Amino acid sequence: MTPDAALAVKNAFTPEQEAALVAWTKKYPYTNLGLIEALRAVQDWHRKVEPAAAARVAEIFGMPFNHVWGVATFFPTFTRWKTGEKRVGICHGLTCYLAGSSKMEKCLEKTLGVPKKTATPDGKLSWEPMECIGACEQGPALQVNDRLVGKATEESISKLKDMK
Amino acid sequence: MTKILTKHFDSEPKFHELETYRKLGGYESLKKALGMERAALLAEVKKSNLRGLGGAGFPTGLKWETVPSEDKVPGPRFVVVNADESEPGCYKDRILLTRAPHQLIEGLLIASYVIGAKDSFIFIRGEYQNQYDILEKALAEADQAGLLGAVKIHLMRGAGAYISGLDTALLETMEGKKAWPRQPPPFPTVAGLMAKPTVVNNVETLSMLPFIVREGGEAFAKIGGPKSGGTVVFSISGSVERPGLYEFPMGVKLRDVLLACGGPLPGRKLKGVIPGGTSMPPLMEKDLDIQLDFDSVRAAGTFLGAGGMIVLDDTMDAVEIAHNIERFLTHESCGQCTPCREGSNWSERILHRLLDGKGEAADIDNLSRVGENITGKVICALGDTVGMVLKGYIGRYPEDFKKRVKSNG
Repeated sequence: MTPDAALAVKNAFTPEQEAALVAWTKKYPYTNLGLIEALRAVQDWHRKVEPAAAARVAEIFGMPFNHVWGVATFFPTFTRWKTGEKRVGICHGLTCYLAGSSKMEKCLEKTLGVPKKTATPDGKLSWEPMECIGACEQGPALQVNDRLVGKATEESISKLKDMK
Repeated sequence: MTKILTKHFDSEPKFHELETYRKLGGYESLKKALGMERAALLAEVKKSNLRGLGGAGFPTGLKWETVPSEDKVPGPRFVVVNADESEPGCYKDRILLTRAPHQLIEGLLIASYVIGAKDSFIFIRGEYQNQYDILEKALAEADQAGLLGAVKIHLMRGAGAYISGLDTALLETMEGKKAWPRQPPPFPTVAGLMAKPTVVNNVETLSMLPFIVREGGEAFAKIGGPKSGGTVVFSISGSVERPGLYEFPMGVKLRDVLLACGGPLPGRKLKGVIPGGTSMPPLMEKDLDIQLDFDSVRAAGTFLGAGGMIVLDDTMDAVEIAHNIERFLTHESCGQCTPCREGSNWSERILHRLLDGKGEAADIDNLSRVGENITGKVICALGDTVGMVLKGYIGRYPEDFKKRVKSNG
Protein backbone atom coordinates (compact mmCIF):
# COMPACT_ATOMS: atom_id res chain seq x y z
CA MET A 1 0.00 0.00 0.00
CA THR A 2 1.30 3.48 -0.83
CA PRO A 3 1.69 5.94 2.08
CA ASP A 4 -1.23 7.95 0.68
CA ALA A 5 -3.49 4.92 0.55
CA ALA A 6 -2.50 3.90 4.07
CA LEU A 7 -3.31 7.39 5.27
CA ALA A 8 -6.72 7.26 3.56
CA VAL A 9 -7.51 4.06 5.43
CA LYS A 10 -6.30 5.49 8.73
CA ASN A 11 -8.35 8.66 8.28
CA ALA A 12 -11.45 7.05 6.80
CA PHE A 13 -13.55 7.87 9.86
CA THR A 14 -13.85 10.44 12.64
CA PRO A 15 -13.20 9.24 16.22
CA GLU A 16 -16.97 9.17 16.85
CA GLN A 17 -17.53 7.08 13.74
CA GLU A 18 -14.73 4.73 14.77
CA ALA A 19 -16.45 4.29 18.13
CA ALA A 20 -19.77 3.58 16.43
CA LEU A 21 -18.15 0.94 14.22
CA VAL A 22 -16.51 -0.70 17.23
CA ALA A 23 -19.92 -0.74 18.91
CA TRP A 24 -21.31 -2.76 15.95
CA THR A 25 -18.60 -5.39 16.55
CA LYS A 26 -20.02 -5.86 20.07
CA LYS A 27 -23.74 -5.53 19.46
CA TYR A 28 -24.48 -9.17 18.56
CA PRO A 29 -23.34 -12.51 20.05
CA TYR A 30 -20.68 -12.82 17.32
CA THR A 31 -18.49 -10.03 15.93
CA ASN A 32 -19.19 -10.76 12.26
CA LEU A 33 -22.95 -10.37 12.75
CA GLY A 34 -22.43 -6.61 12.96
CA LEU A 35 -20.75 -6.19 9.59
CA ILE A 36 -23.79 -5.36 7.45
CA GLU A 37 -25.02 -2.82 9.99
CA ALA A 38 -21.53 -1.29 10.18
CA LEU A 39 -21.43 -0.90 6.40
CA ARG A 40 -24.91 0.62 6.52
CA ALA A 41 -23.49 3.22 8.91
CA VAL A 42 -20.60 3.93 6.52
CA GLN A 43 -23.05 4.38 3.64
CA ASP A 44 -25.05 6.82 5.77
CA TRP A 45 -21.99 8.90 6.70
CA HIS A 46 -20.19 8.95 3.35
CA ARG A 47 -23.23 8.30 1.14
CA LYS A 48 -21.05 5.70 -0.56
CA VAL A 49 -18.60 2.98 0.46
CA GLU A 50 -15.05 3.47 -0.82
CA PRO A 51 -12.20 0.97 -0.70
CA ALA A 52 -10.36 2.94 2.02
CA ALA A 53 -13.45 2.92 4.25
CA ALA A 54 -14.02 -0.78 3.63
CA ALA A 55 -10.37 -1.44 4.48
CA ARG A 56 -10.72 0.35 7.82
CA VAL A 57 -13.94 -1.56 8.57
CA ALA A 58 -12.06 -4.76 7.76
CA GLU A 59 -9.35 -3.83 10.27
CA ILE A 60 -11.92 -3.05 12.95
CA PHE A 61 -13.76 -6.34 12.34
CA GLY A 62 -10.56 -8.36 12.01
CA MET A 63 -11.52 -9.53 8.53
CA PRO A 64 -9.59 -9.59 5.27
CA PHE A 65 -10.22 -6.55 3.08
CA ASN A 66 -11.36 -8.66 0.15
CA HIS A 67 -14.14 -10.17 2.26
CA VAL A 68 -15.50 -6.78 3.30
CA TRP A 69 -15.09 -5.38 -0.21
CA GLY A 70 -16.91 -8.39 -1.62
CA VAL A 71 -19.82 -7.75 0.73
CA ALA A 72 -19.80 -3.99 0.12
CA THR A 73 -20.02 -4.49 -3.65
CA PHE A 74 -22.65 -7.24 -3.43
CA PHE A 75 -25.49 -5.40 -1.73
CA PRO A 76 -27.46 -2.68 -3.55
CA THR A 77 -27.66 -0.46 -0.45
CA PHE A 78 -23.93 0.16 -0.67
CA THR A 79 -22.79 2.33 -3.55
CA ARG A 80 -19.55 3.43 -5.18
CA TRP A 81 -21.28 6.56 -6.45
CA LYS A 82 -22.19 9.25 -3.94
CA THR A 83 -25.91 9.37 -3.28
CA GLY A 84 -27.73 12.55 -2.40
CA GLU A 85 -28.39 13.33 1.27
CA LYS A 86 -31.87 12.27 0.36
CA ARG A 87 -31.68 9.06 -1.63
CA VAL A 88 -34.94 8.72 -3.51
CA GLY A 89 -36.10 5.35 -4.74
CA ILE A 90 -38.83 4.76 -7.28
CA CYS A 91 -40.06 1.18 -7.29
CA HIS A 92 -40.17 -0.57 -10.65
CA GLY A 93 -41.40 -3.96 -9.46
CA LEU A 94 -44.25 -5.44 -11.47
CA THR A 95 -47.22 -3.71 -9.84
CA CYS A 96 -45.45 -0.35 -9.76
CA TYR A 97 -44.33 -0.82 -13.36
CA LEU A 98 -47.90 -1.56 -14.43
CA ALA A 99 -49.03 1.50 -12.47
CA GLY A 100 -46.69 3.77 -14.45
CA SER A 101 -43.29 3.80 -12.75
CA SER A 102 -41.51 4.50 -16.06
CA LYS A 103 -43.37 7.79 -16.40
CA MET A 104 -42.50 8.70 -12.82
CA GLU A 105 -38.82 7.96 -13.51
CA LYS A 106 -38.93 10.55 -16.29
CA CYS A 107 -40.67 12.96 -13.92
CA LEU A 108 -37.92 12.46 -11.32
CA GLU A 109 -35.21 13.07 -13.90
CA LYS A 110 -36.92 16.26 -15.05
CA THR A 111 -37.84 17.57 -11.60
CA LEU A 112 -34.50 16.87 -9.91
CA GLY A 113 -32.57 17.75 -13.07
CA VAL A 114 -30.17 14.82 -12.84
CA PRO A 115 -30.03 11.36 -14.40
CA LYS A 116 -30.51 8.33 -12.16
CA LYS A 117 -27.75 7.48 -9.68
CA THR A 118 -26.31 11.00 -9.83
CA ALA A 119 -26.60 13.47 -6.98
CA THR A 120 -27.78 17.02 -7.61
CA PRO A 121 -24.91 19.56 -7.70
CA ASP A 122 -25.70 20.68 -4.13
CA GLY A 123 -25.52 17.03 -3.04
CA LYS A 124 -29.00 17.11 -1.54
CA LEU A 125 -30.86 14.63 -3.73
CA SER A 126 -30.36 11.63 -5.95
CA TRP A 127 -32.83 9.18 -7.42
CA GLU A 128 -32.76 5.63 -8.74
CA PRO A 129 -35.19 2.89 -9.72
CA MET A 130 -35.40 0.24 -7.02
CA GLU A 131 -36.58 -3.33 -6.92
CA CYS A 132 -39.84 -4.01 -5.05
CA ILE A 133 -39.94 -1.90 -1.88
CA GLY A 134 -43.02 -3.68 -0.52
CA ALA A 135 -45.66 -1.03 -1.08
CA CYS A 136 -47.51 -2.42 -4.11
CA GLU A 137 -50.87 -1.07 -2.95
CA GLN A 138 -49.46 2.46 -3.34
CA GLY A 139 -47.73 1.90 -6.65
CA PRO A 140 -45.75 3.38 -8.20
CA ALA A 141 -44.19 3.63 -4.75
CA LEU A 142 -41.69 6.26 -3.72
CA GLN A 143 -39.25 6.11 -0.81
CA VAL A 144 -36.65 8.43 0.66
CA ASN A 145 -33.76 7.10 2.75
CA ASP A 146 -35.43 3.73 3.35
CA ARG A 147 -38.72 5.25 4.40
CA LEU A 148 -41.87 4.89 2.32
CA VAL A 149 -43.27 8.22 1.13
CA GLY A 150 -46.28 6.82 -0.72
CA LYS A 151 -47.51 6.96 -4.28
CA ALA A 152 -45.22 8.70 -6.74
CA THR A 153 -47.10 11.48 -8.50
CA GLU A 154 -45.97 14.66 -10.18
CA GLU A 155 -47.08 16.41 -7.03
CA SER A 156 -45.31 14.18 -4.52
CA ILE A 157 -42.13 14.33 -6.61
CA SER A 158 -42.29 18.14 -6.79
CA LYS A 159 -42.30 18.21 -2.98
CA LEU A 160 -39.10 16.17 -2.60
CA LYS A 161 -36.86 19.23 -2.74
CA ASP A 162 -38.56 20.83 0.25
CA MET A 163 -38.90 17.65 2.25
CA LYS A 164 -37.30 17.76 5.67
CA MET B 1 -65.26 -14.44 8.12
CA THR B 2 -62.63 -15.87 10.44
CA LYS B 3 -59.66 -13.64 10.99
CA ILE B 4 -56.70 -14.27 13.22
CA LEU B 5 -53.92 -11.81 12.54
CA THR B 6 -55.91 -8.84 11.29
CA LYS B 7 -58.96 -9.34 13.50
CA HIS B 8 -58.49 -6.08 15.42
CA PHE B 9 -57.03 -4.00 12.61
CA ASP B 10 -60.24 -2.12 11.80
CA SER B 11 -61.50 -1.58 15.34
CA GLU B 12 -58.26 -0.93 17.23
CA PRO B 13 -56.10 1.84 15.80
CA LYS B 14 -53.59 1.41 18.64
CA PHE B 15 -53.17 -2.35 18.33
CA HIS B 16 -49.44 -1.75 17.85
CA GLU B 17 -49.13 -0.45 21.40
CA LEU B 18 -48.50 -2.79 24.28
CA GLU B 19 -51.35 -1.47 26.38
CA THR B 20 -53.98 -2.12 23.72
CA TYR B 21 -52.46 -5.44 22.73
CA ARG B 22 -52.55 -6.67 26.33
CA LYS B 23 -56.08 -5.35 26.87
CA LEU B 24 -57.16 -7.67 24.04
CA GLY B 25 -55.49 -10.68 25.62
CA GLY B 26 -52.00 -10.14 24.26
CA TYR B 27 -49.12 -12.02 25.91
CA GLU B 28 -51.60 -14.32 27.70
CA SER B 29 -50.61 -17.05 25.25
CA LEU B 30 -46.96 -16.56 26.15
CA LYS B 31 -47.84 -16.97 29.82
CA LYS B 32 -49.79 -20.12 29.02
CA ALA B 33 -46.96 -21.45 26.85
CA LEU B 34 -44.32 -20.89 29.52
CA GLY B 35 -46.42 -23.04 31.86
CA MET B 36 -46.54 -25.91 29.36
CA GLU B 37 -44.04 -28.62 28.46
CA ARG B 38 -42.10 -27.77 25.33
CA ALA B 39 -43.01 -31.12 23.77
CA ALA B 40 -46.69 -30.41 24.35
CA LEU B 41 -46.39 -27.05 22.59
CA LEU B 42 -44.63 -28.66 19.65
CA ALA B 43 -47.45 -31.20 19.46
CA GLU B 44 -50.02 -28.37 19.29
CA VAL B 45 -48.12 -26.65 16.48
CA LYS B 46 -47.94 -29.92 14.55
CA LYS B 47 -51.64 -30.53 15.09
CA SER B 48 -52.43 -27.03 13.84
CA ASN B 49 -51.18 -27.75 10.29
CA LEU B 50 -49.47 -24.36 10.37
CA ARG B 51 -47.31 -24.03 7.30
CA GLY B 52 -44.55 -21.60 6.51
CA LEU B 53 -46.24 -18.50 5.15
CA GLY B 54 -43.07 -16.94 3.79
CA GLY B 55 -43.60 -18.82 0.55
CA ALA B 56 -42.33 -22.37 0.92
CA GLY B 57 -45.30 -23.75 2.83
CA PHE B 58 -43.22 -26.19 4.84
CA PRO B 59 -45.06 -27.51 7.93
CA THR B 60 -43.82 -25.42 10.86
CA GLY B 61 -44.07 -28.18 13.47
CA LEU B 62 -42.02 -30.56 11.31
CA LYS B 63 -39.38 -27.89 10.84
CA TRP B 64 -39.11 -27.32 14.57
CA GLU B 65 -38.95 -31.03 15.21
CA THR B 66 -35.73 -31.37 13.21
CA VAL B 67 -33.87 -29.14 15.66
CA PRO B 68 -31.63 -31.57 17.58
CA SER B 69 -32.27 -31.69 21.32
CA GLU B 70 -29.90 -30.05 23.78
CA ASP B 71 -28.52 -33.36 25.03
CA LYS B 72 -27.60 -34.37 21.47
CA VAL B 73 -26.25 -30.99 20.38
CA PRO B 74 -25.43 -28.82 23.37
CA GLY B 75 -24.84 -25.09 23.00
CA PRO B 76 -26.82 -22.18 21.67
CA ARG B 77 -29.69 -22.43 19.20
CA PHE B 78 -31.49 -19.56 17.56
CA VAL B 79 -34.82 -18.45 16.18
CA VAL B 80 -34.61 -15.98 13.32
CA VAL B 81 -37.60 -14.03 12.06
CA ASN B 82 -37.46 -13.53 8.34
CA ALA B 83 -38.83 -10.01 7.84
CA ASP B 84 -36.91 -9.54 4.60
CA GLU B 85 -40.04 -9.33 2.49
CA SER B 86 -38.90 -8.37 -1.03
CA GLU B 87 -40.93 -10.44 -3.48
CA PRO B 88 -42.74 -8.13 -5.92
CA GLY B 89 -46.41 -8.15 -4.94
CA CYS B 90 -45.79 -8.94 -1.27
CA TYR B 91 -46.28 -6.35 1.42
CA LYS B 92 -48.15 -8.24 4.14
CA ASP B 93 -45.18 -8.30 6.50
CA ARG B 94 -44.85 -4.54 6.25
CA ILE B 95 -48.43 -4.07 7.42
CA LEU B 96 -48.31 -6.85 10.03
CA LEU B 97 -45.16 -5.26 11.49
CA THR B 98 -46.73 -1.81 11.43
CA ARG B 99 -50.04 -2.81 12.98
CA ALA B 100 -49.17 -5.81 15.16
CA PRO B 101 -45.52 -5.86 16.26
CA HIS B 102 -46.40 -7.42 19.60
CA GLN B 103 -48.23 -10.28 17.92
CA LEU B 104 -44.94 -11.17 16.23
CA ILE B 105 -42.86 -10.66 19.37
CA GLU B 106 -45.20 -12.88 21.36
CA GLY B 107 -45.01 -15.56 18.66
CA LEU B 108 -41.24 -15.27 18.55
CA LEU B 109 -40.99 -15.66 22.33
CA ILE B 110 -43.19 -18.78 22.17
CA ALA B 111 -41.03 -20.25 19.40
CA SER B 112 -37.84 -19.34 21.29
CA TYR B 113 -39.16 -21.20 24.33
CA VAL B 114 -39.99 -24.33 22.34
CA ILE B 115 -36.62 -24.30 20.55
CA GLY B 116 -34.67 -23.30 23.66
CA ALA B 117 -33.22 -20.14 22.10
CA LYS B 118 -31.74 -17.50 24.38
CA ASP B 119 -30.82 -15.22 21.50
CA SER B 120 -33.37 -14.57 18.81
CA PHE B 121 -33.23 -12.29 15.82
CA ILE B 122 -35.54 -10.24 13.69
CA PHE B 123 -33.90 -9.71 10.32
CA ILE B 124 -35.78 -6.93 8.59
CA ARG B 125 -35.14 -5.49 5.15
CA GLY B 126 -33.37 -2.14 5.29
CA GLU B 127 -36.10 -0.44 3.28
CA TYR B 128 -38.54 -1.01 6.16
CA GLN B 129 -36.96 1.66 8.37
CA ASN B 130 -40.39 2.78 9.61
CA GLN B 131 -41.15 -0.77 10.68
CA TYR B 132 -37.69 -1.12 12.25
CA ASP B 133 -38.52 1.88 14.45
CA ILE B 134 -41.88 0.36 15.38
CA LEU B 135 -40.23 -2.93 16.34
CA GLU B 136 -37.57 -1.14 18.35
CA LYS B 137 -40.25 0.67 20.31
CA ALA B 138 -42.36 -2.45 20.80
CA LEU B 139 -39.34 -4.42 22.02
CA ALA B 140 -38.53 -1.67 24.52
CA GLU B 141 -42.14 -1.76 25.75
CA ALA B 142 -42.08 -5.54 26.11
CA ASP B 143 -38.72 -5.43 27.84
CA GLN B 144 -39.89 -2.80 30.29
CA ALA B 145 -42.94 -4.90 31.10
CA GLY B 146 -40.64 -7.85 31.81
CA LEU B 147 -42.15 -9.93 29.01
CA LEU B 148 -38.94 -10.92 27.24
CA GLY B 149 -37.75 -13.05 30.14
CA ALA B 150 -34.43 -14.70 29.43
CA VAL B 151 -34.66 -14.19 25.68
CA LYS B 152 -32.65 -11.44 24.04
CA ILE B 153 -34.22 -10.29 20.80
CA HIS B 154 -31.80 -8.67 18.37
CA LEU B 155 -32.84 -6.46 15.48
CA MET B 156 -30.80 -6.53 12.31
CA ARG B 157 -31.27 -4.83 8.94
CA GLY B 158 -30.50 -6.09 5.47
CA ALA B 159 -28.86 -4.16 2.66
CA GLY B 160 -31.19 -4.30 -0.30
CA ALA B 161 -30.70 -7.80 -1.71
CA TYR B 162 -33.83 -9.79 -2.53
CA ILE B 163 -31.96 -13.07 -2.16
CA SER B 164 -31.34 -12.33 1.53
CA GLY B 165 -34.98 -13.32 2.02
CA LEU B 166 -34.15 -16.96 1.27
CA ASP B 167 -33.44 -18.67 4.61
CA THR B 168 -29.88 -19.84 3.99
CA ALA B 169 -28.93 -16.62 2.18
CA LEU B 170 -30.43 -14.70 5.07
CA LEU B 171 -28.14 -16.54 7.47
CA GLU B 172 -25.14 -15.75 5.27
CA THR B 173 -26.14 -12.08 5.25
CA MET B 174 -26.48 -12.10 9.03
CA GLU B 175 -23.00 -13.58 9.25
CA GLY B 176 -21.65 -10.61 7.32
CA LYS B 177 -21.18 -12.37 4.01
CA LYS B 178 -22.48 -12.05 0.47
CA ALA B 179 -26.02 -13.45 0.37
CA TRP B 180 -25.12 -16.68 -1.39
CA PRO B 181 -27.62 -19.45 -0.66
CA ARG B 182 -26.24 -22.59 0.93
CA GLN B 183 -26.78 -26.00 -0.59
CA PRO B 184 -28.61 -28.08 2.03
CA PRO B 185 -28.21 -30.48 3.74
CA PRO B 186 -27.48 -29.65 6.43
CA PHE B 187 -30.64 -27.63 6.84
CA PRO B 188 -30.59 -24.55 9.07
CA THR B 189 -32.37 -26.40 11.88
CA VAL B 190 -29.24 -28.57 12.15
CA ALA B 191 -26.56 -26.07 11.13
CA GLY B 192 -27.88 -22.56 10.68
CA LEU B 193 -26.58 -19.28 12.06
CA MET B 194 -22.88 -19.74 12.90
CA ALA B 195 -23.50 -23.44 12.22
CA LYS B 196 -25.78 -23.68 15.28
CA PRO B 197 -29.29 -25.15 15.12
CA THR B 198 -31.51 -22.35 13.83
CA VAL B 199 -35.19 -22.03 13.05
CA VAL B 200 -35.97 -19.43 10.40
CA ASN B 201 -39.65 -18.51 10.25
CA ASN B 202 -41.57 -15.78 8.47
CA VAL B 203 -43.32 -12.87 10.24
CA GLU B 204 -46.80 -14.15 9.40
CA THR B 205 -46.02 -17.73 10.48
CA LEU B 206 -44.78 -16.71 13.92
CA SER B 207 -47.61 -14.23 14.37
CA MET B 208 -50.05 -17.17 14.20
CA LEU B 209 -48.58 -18.80 17.33
CA PRO B 210 -50.41 -16.79 20.02
CA PHE B 211 -53.73 -17.95 18.54
CA ILE B 212 -52.59 -21.57 18.29
CA VAL B 213 -51.44 -21.62 21.90
CA ARG B 214 -54.62 -19.92 23.11
CA GLU B 215 -57.18 -21.91 21.12
CA GLY B 216 -55.27 -25.12 20.51
CA GLY B 217 -53.84 -26.65 17.37
CA GLU B 218 -57.05 -28.39 16.44
CA ALA B 219 -59.08 -25.18 16.43
CA PHE B 220 -56.51 -23.60 14.12
CA ALA B 221 -56.45 -26.60 11.78
CA LYS B 222 -60.25 -26.54 11.55
CA ILE B 223 -60.24 -23.00 10.19
CA GLY B 224 -58.19 -23.97 7.16
CA GLY B 225 -58.18 -26.69 4.52
CA PRO B 226 -57.13 -30.34 4.90
CA LYS B 227 -53.36 -29.84 5.07
CA SER B 228 -53.03 -26.08 5.44
CA GLY B 229 -54.31 -24.84 8.77
CA GLY B 230 -55.61 -21.44 9.80
CA THR B 231 -55.78 -18.35 7.69
CA VAL B 232 -53.69 -16.74 5.00
CA VAL B 233 -53.08 -13.04 4.50
CA PHE B 234 -53.05 -11.77 0.94
CA SER B 235 -51.51 -8.46 -0.03
CA ILE B 236 -53.41 -7.56 -3.16
CA SER B 237 -52.45 -5.14 -5.92
CA GLY B 238 -52.74 -4.71 -9.66
CA SER B 239 -56.06 -4.42 -11.46
CA VAL B 240 -58.30 -4.13 -8.38
CA GLU B 241 -60.57 -1.44 -7.00
CA ARG B 242 -59.52 -1.92 -3.38
CA PRO B 243 -55.87 -2.95 -3.09
CA GLY B 244 -54.77 -3.87 0.42
CA LEU B 245 -54.46 -6.63 2.97
CA TYR B 246 -57.08 -9.39 3.10
CA GLU B 247 -57.19 -12.31 5.50
CA PHE B 248 -59.11 -15.45 4.59
CA PRO B 249 -59.29 -19.01 5.86
CA MET B 250 -56.87 -21.25 3.96
CA GLY B 251 -58.75 -22.77 1.06
CA VAL B 252 -60.79 -19.67 0.20
CA LYS B 253 -61.89 -19.62 -3.42
CA LEU B 254 -60.03 -17.32 -5.78
CA ARG B 255 -63.40 -16.03 -6.99
CA ASP B 256 -64.30 -14.85 -3.48
CA VAL B 257 -60.96 -13.10 -3.05
CA LEU B 258 -61.47 -11.21 -6.30
CA LEU B 259 -64.98 -10.24 -5.22
CA ALA B 260 -63.67 -8.88 -1.94
CA CYS B 261 -60.98 -6.70 -3.49
CA GLY B 262 -62.88 -5.72 -6.63
CA GLY B 263 -60.75 -7.22 -9.33
CA PRO B 264 -60.32 -6.90 -12.21
CA LEU B 265 -61.13 -3.19 -12.62
CA PRO B 266 -64.51 -2.35 -14.17
CA GLY B 267 -64.58 -2.75 -17.93
CA ARG B 268 -61.50 -4.94 -17.95
CA LYS B 269 -61.27 -8.67 -18.52
CA LEU B 270 -59.36 -10.96 -16.20
CA LYS B 271 -56.07 -12.05 -17.74
CA GLY B 272 -54.74 -13.95 -14.76
CA VAL B 273 -53.92 -13.74 -11.08
CA ILE B 274 -50.40 -14.03 -9.73
CA PRO B 275 -51.18 -15.81 -6.48
CA GLY B 276 -48.17 -15.22 -4.29
CA GLY B 277 -45.62 -12.79 -5.72
CA THR B 278 -44.14 -12.50 -9.20
CA SER B 279 -42.15 -15.73 -8.92
CA MET B 280 -45.42 -17.65 -9.12
CA PRO B 281 -46.94 -18.13 -12.60
CA PRO B 282 -50.51 -16.82 -12.79
CA LEU B 283 -53.73 -18.66 -12.12
CA MET B 284 -56.21 -18.34 -14.97
CA GLU B 285 -59.95 -17.74 -15.44
CA LYS B 286 -60.52 -21.52 -15.28
CA ASP B 287 -58.99 -21.57 -11.79
CA LEU B 288 -61.52 -19.18 -10.24
CA ASP B 289 -63.09 -21.95 -8.23
CA ILE B 290 -59.98 -23.63 -6.95
CA GLN B 291 -59.25 -23.41 -3.26
CA LEU B 292 -56.33 -21.24 -2.30
CA ASP B 293 -54.19 -23.42 -0.09
CA PHE B 294 -50.66 -24.69 -0.64
CA ASP B 295 -51.57 -28.03 -2.19
CA SER B 296 -54.52 -26.96 -4.36
CA VAL B 297 -52.60 -24.06 -5.89
CA ARG B 298 -49.71 -26.37 -6.58
CA ALA B 299 -52.05 -28.78 -8.32
CA ALA B 300 -53.14 -25.87 -10.53
CA GLY B 301 -49.55 -25.50 -11.73
CA THR B 302 -48.29 -22.65 -9.60
CA PHE B 303 -47.57 -21.78 -5.95
CA LEU B 304 -49.37 -19.98 -3.16
CA GLY B 305 -46.07 -18.30 -2.31
CA ALA B 306 -46.20 -15.47 0.15
CA GLY B 307 -49.68 -14.22 -0.62
CA GLY B 308 -48.59 -11.34 -2.83
CA MET B 309 -51.51 -11.36 -5.21
CA ILE B 310 -51.36 -9.32 -8.40
CA VAL B 311 -54.46 -9.20 -10.57
CA LEU B 312 -53.72 -8.94 -14.28
CA ASP B 313 -56.21 -7.70 -16.87
CA ASP B 314 -56.53 -7.62 -20.64
CA THR B 315 -54.81 -4.23 -20.97
CA MET B 316 -51.58 -5.85 -19.80
CA ASP B 317 -49.15 -7.67 -22.05
CA ALA B 318 -47.57 -10.99 -21.07
CA VAL B 319 -44.24 -10.18 -22.76
CA GLU B 320 -43.96 -6.92 -20.84
CA ILE B 321 -44.83 -8.70 -17.61
CA ALA B 322 -42.34 -11.50 -18.21
CA HIS B 323 -39.69 -8.95 -19.13
CA ASN B 324 -40.28 -7.00 -15.93
CA ILE B 325 -40.00 -10.15 -13.83
CA GLU B 326 -36.89 -11.43 -15.63
CA ARG B 327 -35.28 -8.00 -15.33
CA PHE B 328 -35.89 -8.19 -11.60
CA LEU B 329 -34.46 -11.71 -11.36
CA THR B 330 -31.39 -10.73 -13.39
CA HIS B 331 -30.75 -7.86 -11.01
CA GLU B 332 -31.27 -10.06 -7.96
CA SER B 333 -29.47 -13.23 -9.09
CA CYS B 334 -26.62 -13.61 -6.61
CA GLY B 335 -24.26 -14.92 -9.28
CA GLN B 336 -23.31 -18.13 -7.52
CA CYS B 337 -24.77 -20.63 -10.01
CA THR B 338 -23.82 -20.13 -13.65
CA PRO B 339 -27.18 -21.19 -15.21
CA CYS B 340 -29.08 -18.55 -13.21
CA ARG B 341 -26.46 -15.80 -13.44
CA GLU B 342 -26.16 -16.10 -17.24
CA GLY B 343 -29.61 -17.44 -18.03
CA SER B 344 -31.56 -14.71 -16.28
CA ASN B 345 -29.60 -12.13 -18.22
CA TRP B 346 -30.11 -13.94 -21.54
CA SER B 347 -33.84 -14.18 -20.88
CA GLU B 348 -34.06 -10.50 -20.13
CA ARG B 349 -32.19 -9.62 -23.30
CA ILE B 350 -34.30 -11.87 -25.51
CA LEU B 351 -37.50 -10.49 -23.98
CA HIS B 352 -36.18 -7.00 -24.50
CA ARG B 353 -35.61 -7.81 -28.15
CA LEU B 354 -39.20 -9.01 -28.44
CA LEU B 355 -40.44 -5.77 -26.88
CA ASP B 356 -38.26 -3.81 -29.29
CA GLY B 357 -40.01 -5.44 -32.24
CA LYS B 358 -36.84 -7.23 -33.28
CA GLY B 359 -37.88 -10.68 -32.12
CA GLU B 360 -37.77 -13.77 -34.30
CA ALA B 361 -39.69 -17.01 -34.03
CA ALA B 362 -36.58 -18.79 -32.75
CA ASP B 363 -36.50 -16.40 -29.77
CA ILE B 364 -39.54 -18.00 -28.19
CA ASP B 365 -38.01 -21.47 -28.48
CA ASN B 366 -34.75 -20.14 -27.15
CA LEU B 367 -36.49 -18.61 -24.15
CA SER B 368 -38.07 -21.95 -23.31
CA ARG B 369 -34.77 -23.75 -23.78
CA VAL B 370 -32.86 -21.30 -21.59
CA GLY B 371 -35.52 -21.69 -18.91
CA GLU B 372 -35.39 -25.48 -19.02
CA ASN B 373 -31.64 -25.32 -18.54
CA ILE B 374 -31.97 -23.36 -15.31
CA THR B 375 -34.91 -24.75 -13.36
CA GLY B 376 -33.81 -27.68 -11.22
CA LYS B 377 -30.14 -27.11 -12.01
CA VAL B 378 -29.34 -24.43 -9.45
CA ILE B 379 -29.03 -24.17 -5.68
CA CYS B 380 -32.00 -22.00 -4.84
CA ALA B 381 -35.55 -21.10 -5.77
CA LEU B 382 -34.59 -17.82 -7.44
CA GLY B 383 -32.89 -19.69 -10.25
CA ASP B 384 -35.78 -22.13 -10.53
CA THR B 385 -38.04 -19.13 -10.90
CA VAL B 386 -36.17 -17.77 -13.92
CA GLY B 387 -37.27 -20.81 -15.90
CA MET B 388 -40.67 -21.17 -14.28
CA VAL B 389 -41.66 -17.61 -15.20
CA LEU B 390 -40.68 -18.12 -18.85
CA LYS B 391 -42.55 -21.39 -19.11
CA GLY B 392 -45.49 -19.96 -17.18
CA TYR B 393 -46.04 -16.93 -19.40
CA ILE B 394 -45.16 -18.49 -22.77
CA GLY B 395 -47.43 -21.44 -21.98
CA ARG B 396 -50.36 -19.36 -20.77
CA TYR B 397 -50.20 -16.46 -23.23
CA PRO B 398 -48.71 -17.82 -26.47
CA GLU B 399 -50.57 -15.21 -28.55
CA ASP B 400 -48.89 -12.32 -26.73
CA PHE B 401 -45.52 -13.80 -27.58
CA LYS B 402 -46.32 -14.67 -31.22
CA LYS B 403 -47.60 -11.12 -31.75
CA ARG B 404 -44.13 -9.81 -30.94
CA VAL B 405 -42.34 -11.89 -33.55
CA LYS B 406 -41.48 -10.34 -36.92
CA SER B 407 -43.19 -12.13 -39.74
CA ASN B 408 -40.76 -13.63 -42.24
CA GLY B 409 -39.73 -11.36 -45.09
